[in-house]
Amino acid sequence: MKFTIDNLPIVFPYDRIYPEQYAYMCDLKRTLDATGHCVLEMPSGTGKTVSLLSLIVSYQQFYPTRRKLIYCSRTVPEIEKALSELKRLMDYRISTAETEEERTKEKNFTGLGLTSRKNLCIHPEVSKEKKGKVVDARCRDLTNAVACQKGRENPGSVPLCDWHEKLNEAEPGNLVPPGIWTLADVLQYGRDHGTCPYFTVRRMMPFVDVVIYSFHYLLDPKVAEQVSKEISKDAIVVFDEAHNIDNVCIESLSVDLTRPMLESASRSVHKLSEKIEEIKQTDASKLQDEYAKLVEGLQEASDARDEDAFMANPVLPDDLLKEAVPGNIRKAEHFVAFLKRFVEYLKTRMRVLHVVAETPLSFLQHLKDITYIERRPLRFCAERLQSLVRTLNITRLDEFSSLQKVASFATLVATYEKGFLLILEPFETDNATVPNPIFHFVCLDPAIAIKPVFERFSSVVITSGTISPLDMYPKMLQFTPVVQETYPMTLTRNAFLPLIITRGSDQVAISSRFEVRNDPAVVRNFGSILVEYSKIVPDGIVAFFPSYLYMESIVAAWNDMGILNEVWKHKLIFVETPDANETSIALENYRRACNNGRGAVLLSVARGKVAEGIDFDHNYGRAVIMFGIPYQYTESRILKARLEYLRDAYRIRESEFLGFDAIRNAAQCVGRVLRGKTDWGLMVFADKRFARADKRAKLPRWINQYITETAANLSTDMALTLSKLFMRTISQNPNENQTGISLWTLEDVEKAQAKQKALALEMEQLQEDPVDEDEYGDGGFSDRLIGELDLDI
Amino acid sequence: MPALCTAKATFKKLSGSLELTDTHLQWTQDSKKAPSVRVPYAEFASLFCSREGAAQVRLKVGLVNDDAGHNFTFTSPQPISLTERENFKRELTTIIGRNRGAIDATPARTPLASTPGTPNPTVSRPTVPLPRPSTSRAVSVSSGSTPVPSGNDATTDFRLRKKVLVGNPDLATLHRELVVTGQITEAEFWEGREHLLLAQAASDSQKRGRPGTLVDPRPQTVDGGEIKIVITPQLVHDIFEEFPVVAKAYSENVPNKLSEGEFWKRYFHSRLFHAHRASIRSSAAQHVMKDDPIFDKYLEPDDDDLEPRRQRDEDVEMFVDLGATREDHDETGNVKDVTMQAGRQKGVLPLIRKFNEHSERLLKSVLGPDDGPAAKRRRLDADSSDRYNEIDLDDLHDAQDSVGIILEMQDRQRYFEGGLSSAKSTSTEDVAKQKMDVRAALREAKDNTQDWGRNLAQLKLEKKSADEALGAMTKNVTARLETRIQKNDLPPNLFRQMATCQTAANEFLRQYWSSVYPPASELQTLATPTLAQRATKEAKMIGYLVKTHEKVDALVRTARIEGVEPGRVEIAMKPVLNAVDKALAHHRARRPPIPRPT
Repeated sequence: MKFTIDNLPIVFPYDRIYPEQYAYMCDLKRTLDATGHCVLEMPSGTGKTVSLLSLIVSYQQFYPTRRKLIYCSRTVPEIEKALSELKRLMDYRISTAETEEERTKEKNFTGLGLTSRKNLCIHPEVSKEKKGKVVDARCRDLTNAVACQKGRENPGSVPLCDWHEKLNEAEPGNLVPPGIWTLADVLQYGRDHGTCPYFTVRRMMPFVDVVIYSFHYLLDPKVAEQVSKEISKDAIVVFDEAHNIDNVCIESLSVDLTRPMLESASRSVHKLSEKIEEIKQTDASKLQDEYAKLVEGLQEASDARDEDAFMANPVLPDDLLKEAVPGNIRKAEHFVAFLKRFVEYLKTRMRVLHVVAETPLSFLQHLKDITYIERRPLRFCAERLQSLVRTLNITRLDEFSSLQKVASFATLVATYEKGFLLILEPFETDNATVPNPIFHFVCLDPAIAIKPVFERFSSVVITSGTISPLDMYPKMLQFTPVVQETYPMTLTRNAFLPLIITRGSDQVAISSRFEVRNDPAVVRNFGSILVEYSKIVPDGIVAFFPSYLYMESIVAAWNDMGILNEVWKHKLIFVETPDANETSIALENYRRACNNGRGAVLLSVARGKVAEGIDFDHNYGRAVIMFGIPYQYTESRILKARLEYLRDAYRIRESEFLGFDAIRNAAQCVGRVLRGKTDWGLMVFADKRFARADKRAKLPRWINQYITETAANLSTDMALTLSKLFMRTISQNPNENQTGISLWTLEDVEKAQAKQKALALEMEQLQEDPVDEDEYGDGGFSDRLIGELDLDI
Repeated sequence: MPALCTAKATFKKLSGSLELTDTHLQWTQDSKKAPSVRVPYAEFASLFCSREGAAQVRLKVGLVNDDAGHNFTFTSPQPISLTERENFKRELTTIIGRNRGAIDATPARTPLASTPGTPNPTVSRPTVPLPRPSTSRAVSVSSGSTPVPSGNDATTDFRLRKKVLVGNPDLATLHRELVVTGQITEAEFWEGREHLLLAQAASDSQKRGRPGTLVDPRPQTVDGGEIKIVITPQLVHDIFEEFPVVAKAYSENVPNKLSEGEFWKRYFHSRLFHAHRASIRSSAAQHVMKDDPIFDKYLEPDDDDLEPRRQRDEDVEMFVDLGATREDHDETGNVKDVTMQAGRQKGVLPLIRKFNEHSERLLKSVLGPDDGPAAKRRRLDADSSDRYNEIDLDDLHDAQDSVGIILEMQDRQRYFEGGLSSAKSTSTEDVAKQKMDVRAALREAKDNTQDWGRNLAQLKLEKKSADEALGAMTKNVTARLETRIQKNDLPPNLFRQMATCQTAANEFLRQYWSSVYPPASELQTLATPTLAQRATKEAKMIGYLVKTHEKVDALVRTARIEGVEPGRVEIAMKPVLNAVDKALAHHRARRPPIPRPT
């Protein structure tokens, strides 16, 4: 349908629209108009992505500036879904275009999705590599500028990638026909035309209207440097499913070093020095050239094409020093010696057998005292290594990955003073006796990584199904939103039933609290919830556990208690495993079992792979059971440091943050059952702590509004009775017409707009009138209006 | 038919010979030619044997629809009979295994096959003393446009009907009343009730799927501290399927190196068995295990690495591909905390993998191996419409208009004219109403409500009318109470008669109307009866209906004799009579000359 919001014509690819979607689009438009940032929470499964794309594409197509859309999502399945959604939207726009001119305009609208080489490679050998790093390295060997030049001058001398070469035949900016290309489409196009899908997307990026990729491509400086550098400042940036964005920010600036890594790094240093010796014999001028360039300044050194970049600087663009590399590491052999010394220093630090936590400053001080390494050269470590690697023309870079990590570590530790901490943990667990030291360089402040994004782009949209409480995000990420909104879910009948089970049928309280979680009574009560629900719920049930550790121990316990045997009688059981591929296959089988009617139970972990981006709509998830509250492991030193930082810097209390973090993950898990308003599902929260008001208050409004007082404190058998009742009612044909209430037709939209206009007008009049009446501002006839009537009589 | 194996065996204490041909298991009594027991392969569901060393060598075959099955006793002298039984056992086990595997892969045995519905002269015969399936079949079974599973023979049909009647006592009573007494034929009775038969057939043809429980033979402890595991052919089959490695070991070692009994004995003592058991506790028992040179060969190391030992290169659908996310960007950040690292509890990973594999195997046994090349192609070809389905919000589409049923109205013209004229008159009123001033109305309302307090105080009720109203109410209540009390005071005998009369009349009415109206298109399961047939039926039903009045009169008389107020019976039967009268009137109006059936 087509309608307008404040003169902006919107094309929405459905015949009807949910009121939430309409409101969402209005707020989004306000944000874009104001060129500011916003935080929007929209109920899961109410078509957030399609509303977002529909509005932004309409916006892009209407205004001549054609602001580019950068759409970030968390996982590849979600990226692919968003691309499909966009493709369908454009199909619809093309089919409903009124004039030929418009149609061509729609047809020329181009959107692409970007992911790694590993996912996009079609080279018969390289794509067979299991590890993404190896694929990257081998690809670079076949496609870097030097190799290409050599190979072209003298065909056959250097192996090149045919698919990459073929791309040069087409003119840049026209590597694929305009339109929307999902990842699968791009791969197919590459296979059909013998071109490289990865570089197709990379080189097309400056020319497309929409780019869809994952958070990391914008937030991780190492990737963003290569991929997102050229995007113009007026682009619209959207972070969808952004409830975990703070974690992505933190991760992108954190580094871990282990002993095996340091070993590997020193081997790489050794290899480098050998290579230097070799070059000195054969081609000394090369090193001279490099030295000269470094004297001139670093920026000129990187004149090669961007896709050559072997490793980018881990530091954010604002913090990059625009000056020449310090003299003491300009000479290749000096730099190698410098690296060797640094790695040795780190190795000695690893020998300590007690936990150390220190600030970057104290680390640098100690480093200087022992090894005389100064801060400044350390900052250039990553850049200098990149330059050297390029000069030496090193292949199979994946073997140097540990050294790269050490260099990133060096650069980061020398760049940032505040918001970071170094933690050395000699033992994995408290009761371990064999040391396995890990040197954590921890970023504590999510605002650091996202700051350049907010500063650079005029409109940043942060949206998800679960980002309550809303004010937490602006606080943590340090930005001021122009719009901050959460939408309730309008339903003509309750399509989902949230239940809080606080105790088993035997009245023993259930909880995943550390002290009681392995109590046999609790384990048995959790088990009986699963058994009972597997008896009464059709098709798929998804159960989430707070952690891998707990899931593994409880699965073993259930098996020995014979609880799983009961479940087997009714449903198949699939369990998330540590391996992503294996889990994908299990997931696919799970979905087949649901489609077939056999029904299945999927056991997985909140914050795990499955919870992050697989939907369980319709028959794939008729019930979600959240066993316990997914709190983070509070004994973790990294978490403790982060909590302390949040308290000191942003005045967010520890318990507040922990509760918020646990509940957003729980809500994220249960929210995956819904898609559309005819879909239905049960949401079972099995932990007595969910009944507490402070926990419930942190749930998103659209879930919380449907938790009744009776459903907030149930025993297993009561919950079952309620669930049965719910399923009996929901299985009946909805008699009442949803249209007008939870579904709007075009007329309803217009009606709402008219009403809004009237209201706005009234507001205006009110403002003109100096009458003070803030007591009854709740809609309907205002007292003043009636008062006026009275006066007339 | 060549027999796969034969043996002398007794069945129901009669001696004879048991034969396994390539389609059936059959038993022929001595001195008879035709086999008296013949079971097709597809019917086998389970197999039981007497214990080795028992006095009698017995074999019991359980059937799909009949758990009791057949019991055979082998009569040859012991060693021979044992080998004979082994032969049968082996063959039957594979057959049963195949049956189970194919449960859903093969389409359910259609219990009814379609036979061309030829008009059958027996239909018009007014009395059929007993339901004779052979004659009624042709009518009840159809070859309509809709695919109806219909009986390949009359017996299945008959069985279905019987089942429906047994499951539905009311219907059975009606059936007894009408069909057994011969008022309407069996065929007519079932006409319009095909859905019951279909539902029954569908539920019959649904077979139990394979139970999902893991194969985990739990040892029982018998006295003396020995443990015992009972091995049935069933269990053997399940073990072979669940653990192909055991099947491999079996085929390689039995009977050359080990006898069957010994094989199992050693298997259950071996590490292999403990590795197969679905428990993490079993690993604790491992050090007690003795080495077993034969079985330890087949032992695989535990599959407890983070990555599975057996990497599977299957294409996964993009929407559930978790691996792609892992490879989307370099790992960043610090390691996960201890609780979020998978596989910390070593024993659990093999268990979890076992669950996933077991579920997958069950699924495959039902759906067939879907991961073959066909599935690959499907995934690659999956055109966008398929992917759109997954992201679609279906309630946002406008409802597709159904064709609907056109309302046939008599005298349509008048209806529309009437509507028009009334609309005209109301529209003028509407205009008048709209003109009414809101302010004026408001003012009026305001005037009306002025002094409401005083008005209320002045309100007086007249005593008489109040009393009257109260009296009326009391009367009403007593009347209701009486009816409630008297509700069930009809003599049971009379009540039953009334009920019978009513249901019978209803049935006749149903038959009558169904013969008058054109058959509903989607329910057209019967061979559409010819016009003549319908006319005869119609006439017959009218014949019955005409008698309804008499019957009711008779009831009223009986009521009088029984001492019940006849008026009540009349009232009770009134609706039926009305309905009957309507039908009769319709019949008269429709076709004045009634062609009487001969």
